[in-house]
Amino acid sequence: MTAAAPYPIYAAFALGAFALYFLAPRAQRRRAVTTAGWLAAIAAGSVALFASQQAGPHTGILFYCFAVVALLAAVRVITHPRPVYSAVYFVVVVLAVAAILITYEAEFLAVALVIIYAGAILVTYLFVIMLAQQPGAPVYDRRAREPFLAVIAGFLLTGLVAGQVTAQRSGLPPPSKPEARTASTRLPPNPTASGNTAAIGVALMTRYPVALEIGGVLLLISMVGAVALSRKRIPIEGVPPPAPTLGQIGKEVEPF
Amino acid sequence: MDSLLPSLMLGAALFGLGVVGFLVRRNLIVIFLSTEVMFQGVIVTAAAFARYYAHVEGQAYALLLLVIAAVEAGLALGLVMLLYRRRDTLDAEAWSTMRG
Repeated sequence: MTAAAPYPIYAAFALGAFALYFLAPRAQRRRAVTTAGWLAAIAAGSVALFASQQAGPHTGILFYCFAVVALLAAVRVITHPRPVYSAVYFVVVVLAVAAILITYEAEFLAVALVIIYAGAILVTYLFVIMLAQQPGAPVYDRRAREPFLAVIAGFLLTGLVAGQVTAQRSGLPPPSKPEARTASTRLPPNPTASGNTAAIGVALMTRYPVALEIGGVLLLISMVGAVALSRKRIPIEGVPPPAPTLGQIGKEVEPF
Repeated sequence: MDSLLPSLMLGAALFGLGVVGFLVRRNLIVIFLSTEVMFQGVIVTAAAFARYYAHVEGQAYALLLLVIAAVEAGLALGLVMLLYRRRDTLDAEAWSTMRG
C-alpha cells in the first residue's frame, strides 16, 4: 500500500477553515455569505472523508451519512447565535456519534454516550442556559472573537495532524489478528451474539482498576466542588441576616 | 476490516471544530459546549482504533473519557453560574481584566 498524498486532506481542511470563517457569528450577516459558507463546509467535509478513503477499502455508507450529520451539526453548535440551539445541535452531534459507534460494534459505549451526554450533561447545560438567560440576543453571542486567527489556528492544528496521519498511514501497525490477543482483552469474535459489554467490564475490572477508581474519586471531587461553588447565602428580604456567633467566625467564610 | 482513515478524519475534524468554537465564541456556556465537541472527536478516534485492532482498550478509554466529560461539565457549569452571578453577563470578555 502506497502512502497517500496528504494534499487533498490539506485542501479539504483549508476549505473547511474558509467556510468556518464565513459562518462565524458576525454583526451584519448577509445571506449570500452564509450560503457560500455552508456550501464550502459541505464540500470540505465530503472531500476530507472521501479523499481519505482512497487508502483503504470501503467503509459502510452509514458511516458517511452519520459523519456528515455530525460535522454539520458540530458546525452549527459553534456558529449558532443562540446558546439553546447550540445545545440542541450538540444533541444531534452526540446522536450521530452514537450511531457511528454502533457501526463500530461499540454498542455499550454508544448507549452510555446517549444516556450520559444527551441525558445528563445536556440537561445540565440547558438548565444553566435557562438560568442565565439574557433578554434578546446579547452582543457577545452575535459577534465572534477573532474568527480569522481562530480558524487559522484550528486549520493548522487539525490539518497538520490529519495530513501526517494520511502520509504515515503505511507506518501504522496493521490490524492485529484476534488470536494474537489474550482472551481478557480481545473483543468477542462475534459481537452480535453477546455484545462486547462483558469484555469492556472485564477489561475495566482486571486491567484498569486504578483508572476506574480514579474516575470514581474524580466524580466525587467534582460533586463536592460543584456544591461548594454554587453555595451562596441569599439573604431573605426584610429580615436582617443573623449575626454570626463567635464560634462561626472564621469557620464560615462567604464564598465571595 | 473497515478502513481506519475516515474515522480518524472525522475525529480530527470534530476536534478542530471544537477548537475553533472554543476560540471564537464569547459566551461562556458555548465555550464549554465546544470542549464537549472536542470530546466527541476523541471518542470517535478511540472507538475507531478499538475496532481497527479488535481490542477493547480503546472502548475502555472512551468510557473513562465520558467520566472526565461529566466531571468537567459539572465543575465548569458551577463556575459559569458563579461568574454569571458576579457580573450578570456570560461574556468571557467581561473577565479580560484578569489578563493582566
